[in-house]
Amino acid sequence: MAALENPADLDEREREALETLLKRLADDEFVLAERYTEWQVRAPSLESDLALANNAQDELGHARLWYDVLEDLGFEEQELVYERDPADFRHATLVELPFEEGDWADAVLRSYLYDAAEELRLEALEDSSYPKIADRVGKIQSEEAYHLEHAQNWVERLADGEEGHQRLQDALDRLFPHALTLFEPVDPDVETDIVDLGLRDATLEELGEEWLSIVVPYLESLELELPVSSQVDDDTFEITEEMLPEKRGRDGSHTDAWADLHDELTHTYRDLGRSETTKIMEKPE
Amino acid sequence: MDLNTVKERAGPREFSPADDLPREYREAATRMIEFHANSEIMGAYLERPFIRQAPSIDRKLAFSAKVQDEIGHGQLLYRAAESLGVKTREEMLDDLANGDGKFLNCFHYPLKSWVEIPMISFFVDGAAMRRQATLRRTSWEPYAHAMDKVCFEEGFHVKHGEDILKELMTGSRAEQQRTQEAFEEWWPRIIQFFGPTDDKSTHHDFAASVGLKQQSNDELRDAFLDQYIPKARKHGLEIPDEPRIRERDDGTYAVEEGDLDWDEFFTIAKNDYEPGLGQINGRKQAQEAVQWVRETIEDDATTAGGHAPQAAD
Amino acid sequence: MIWEVFRQEKTGGYHTHCGNVHAPDREMAKQFAAIQHGRRKPTNSLWVVPREEVGEIDSEDVVFGGATDRSYRWATAYNTTGEDAREVVESEDEQATAERQRGDD
Repeated sequence: MAALENPADLDEREREALETLLKRLADDEFVLAERYTEWQVRAPSLESDLALANNAQDELGHARLWYDVLEDLGFEEQELVYERDPADFRHATLVELPFEEGDWADAVLRSYLYDAAEELRLEALEDSSYPKIADRVGKIQSEEAYHLEHAQNWVERLADGEEGHQRLQDALDRLFPHALTLFEPVDPDVETDIVDLGLRDATLEELGEEWLSIVVPYLESLELELPVSSQVDDDTFEITEEMLPEKRGRDGSHTDAWADLHDELTHTYRDLGRSETTKIMEKPE
Repeated sequence: MDLNTVKERAGPREFSPADDLPREYREAATRMIEFHANSEIMGAYLERPFIRQAPSIDRKLAFSAKVQDEIGHGQLLYRAAESLGVKTREEMLDDLANGDGKFLNCFHYPLKSWVEIPMISFFVDGAAMRRQATLRRTSWEPYAHAMDKVCFEEGFHVKHGEDILKELMTGSRAEQQRTQEAFEEWWPRIIQFFGPTDDKSTHHDFAASVGLKQQSNDELRDAFLDQYIPKARKHGLEIPDEPRIRERDDGTYAVEEGDLDWDEFFTIAKNDYEPGLGQINGRKQAQEAVQWVRETIEDDATTAGGHAPQAAD
Repeated sequence: MIWEVFRQEKTGGYHTHCGNVHAPDREMAKQFAAIQHGRRKPTNSLWVVPREEVGEIDSEDVVFGGATDRSYRWATAYNTTGEDAREVVESEDEQATAERQRGDD
């Protein structure tokens, strides 16, 4: 597959595929980070507060890297975040749901569901035909490894106790359908282009099946119940229409919580009548 | 060790958990460090909504990192306090939640808008850093060690705060004006950060005599004014007329204490000030909401430690 | 049984790892450590800790300080106006040193 070197040489189809892929990546990381920061000064202990804040900053740093690639296509940060219509964000609904106060089971389970998908998605980007994407994957992977282990440590610890187990089950019932939207298309044709152009070397269906084949047995081993079963489904997993929630995120349909969140996070920018955003760091290499 | 020996020996980093120290010393040190630790937590609690409201990704990252650092400082300080053997961290955090734990006056006020951020992140943090730098020579070694790490990190906070101030004061006219208004509102509180004049401070004499405290309230307040009045002016802020501030012949400053509202200050000191109570209770609710997780971890820790009954067989 | 030994050179200093000793129990570990690790180097205090109680996480397990740009959390990323407070300058210098050391790996 020929590398798509120069953003100026991209045709309309290539451009749209690249933009769509990057928005999926960046918006997921950005919105998840935004939700994680809700735990700052509210986590179960000072130490766990520090650890989750670290993960929030990691995810936000990754979002920054992906938004920066979008700047190759002529976008600026304010258009991508502060002035973008909330309905144009492409993140999965999993990352936009608010946390109920004290629901640490949600925080760690959501992290597990997301990070397991993130690991697969990054693998499928290692040889991306857009070199800047491939270049940035390694750095992100090295930080994500900690997240997945951190999430699993907590999930296993909570699953061990009666209250923790019940809370995990409740969180799973609520989150699982939304986690599946991680593998939903923004637009089916564009998603096909993303793979055909070699931007990512696995289809959403493949990623979704692989993800199910990992998370379902793992969660079952903790005696958690899922709407799919590794026993019944005979080693093949498929995401079907009835498993999905009404709002899918990727297609621009979002839960009400997202509009509220976007409103809050753009508050200062709007209140001060800003038209650009402050950079502290140099542009990423 | 008796109290007289403590007073004789009281030098920088002189006493450690290996020393047998009198109750008076351990209680005074606990009170002081617990206050400091509580202030880190309540400061972080006050600022945390602005992680979300920060007006750019880089600012959001810096703000998240800053709030994270404050929690890290709380972690270090509660350990330094705990090592005196008077109270556990859990007891201190419970007291903070119940409204019995005391903390800095500035963190009792509501923080409503981004233009107020430099008041905390630059001026209050700058004031705190003045004091913390002197506490690297406190007599309780674990406290001094915590201060080494806190001072190492804190330079980022103060400089980041100043960067936000600079941006606002070089921004639109409205931004400049609103920042000046915020400064006028916060300025007296910031000066009161250092507490009442030494004549009225109840705990100073003892803490100074056993080497816990290295400089008096008055010395620290004056040192703050000398450094930060010129800074404020450089950024185009006008120093409010009240409280009156006198410039001495040598170019240093002193404040007219009578111009400050000490009734409000002492109401705050007793945790009786309304907005502060709201913050205390908000944090209490958050702490209680995750009590179930702490119970889960503690059960595990007992089992893993091998001290649980089932380890006998 | 192996005990890890941490030495503090003088009052108020940090206990830093300096070696280990074989000993059957804590009391003997302290006595052996006093001779093996305290007899020449300036020593004010020693700690002994059972080796099996020490957990380790290394740079293969985790990227300490992260892999992506975190310059926003260093004082050196910000420019100020006028003269900075002494303690702010000191903090920035310490941070600049730490940053350089991290970069040297």
